[in-house]
Amino acid sequence: MSHFVLAFFRSSPRRPGRRCSVLGLVGAVALAAAGSAAAQGTGDAARPDFSGLWFPAGTRTTPQPLPFTDAAQRLVEQYRSEFTLDDDPGRYCIWPGMPRAVWGAPFTIEIFHRPQDVTIYWEGYGMYRKIYMADHNPPPALVPSAMGHSVAHWEGDTLVIETTNLKPYPYMTRMATTSDAHVIERMRIEERPGDDGQMRRYLVDEITLTDPKMYKEPIRIVAQAVHRPDLQLLEYTCTDTLWDEYLQSRGLTLPDVDALPEPDEE
Amino acid sequence: MSPKAVAIVLAALVAAAGSAFAHHSFAIYDMETNVEFEGVVDTLKFRNPHMAMTLKVTGDDGRERLVEFVEGAPANMLVRMGLDPATIQPGRKIKAVGSPRRDDPNAYFLKTIILEDGTRFHVLN
Repeated sequence: MSHFVLAFFRSSPRRPGRRCSVLGLVGAVALAAAGSAAAQGTGDAARPDFSGLWFPAGTRTTPQPLPFTDAAQRLVEQYRSEFTLDDDPGRYCIWPGMPRAVWGAPFTIEIFHRPQDVTIYWEGYGMYRKIYMADHNPPPALVPSAMGHSVAHWEGDTLVIETTNLKPYPYMTRMATTSDAHVIERMRIEERPGDDGQMRRYLVDEITLTDPKMYKEPIRIVAQAVHRPDLQLLEYTCTDTLWDEYLQSRGLTLPDVDALPEPDEE
Repeated sequence: MSPKAVAIVLAALVAAAGSAFAHHSFAIYDMETNVEFEGVVDTLKFRNPHMAMTLKVTGDDGRERLVEFVEGAPANMLVRMGLDPATIQPGRKIKAVGSPRRDDPNAYFLKTIILEDGTRFHVLN
């Protein structure tokens, strides 16, 4: 599957010459749809609209043990001998990034789907991701990042997403990845009864991670989230503890602004 | 949130428990040991990625001491389970169940909060 998708992308050269006409068309469509619900969605009734609030369905599968290369396995052993359980990137608010972020932690996810892109906002860590549609002249990747640079196309009702330009994730006990990591996702909607017997919409993401320096073979992960329009996205500020520790190291105590008198008490 | 919706959230939380704190190993805690305390909340840091709390408890000898829950569930998870942070503000009487750190038996992971009316917020087995 992944080889087929790779072949598709590699055989589909960008066509910079189309930039103006495509932009013009997109601009016209955007202007026509501005301020209306029509600005959301895929622009094609046959394709699913991923927009909405979702919650991890607790059914993510990741192979264990991971198929490390021999050299990577040595790095795992060295890492385990040097890093303690407290030396954890999550405690320091390091984003898990792709592909670890997908429907893992139990926090709400909000998706905004437009014809030209899909924007995903994760409550956990406040992570943010943009997926550009290949047929809407996606911008180039500028810098390696935790979420990487994602470009997608449709295969029937499945959105096929290719992600590259990822920053290294050198935490060897946390599904580490190198700069060469390459992720293909096949994202679709399934409607089926939930645990309570009621029909529910599930967002299913089949992920294939290829990273030859780290893993001997591609890693396949299937993650699911359930549509939960009744939820809301909460603020998730991760750095409060770090700031407290800094203040403590400086011997500083923040003023209690809530203890200020009411204006009529002054 | 309806009771059914709460049930779904709880089911999802339970199902996701393995990944709920995936960034964090629990091996530093003795999760087999569960100690219940009753006391008054002394300090509260209700935040993400982990809440923290100190509880003032009175021992059998009548002496007061502080129990440190150095971390617990993410604040957002507890709110989504229905916990109103106002009910565990400093000064409120609660019960709390924790598991001690292996290298510091006075520091606990907060597993369960029990309000005065008996409502339980249990985040980890």
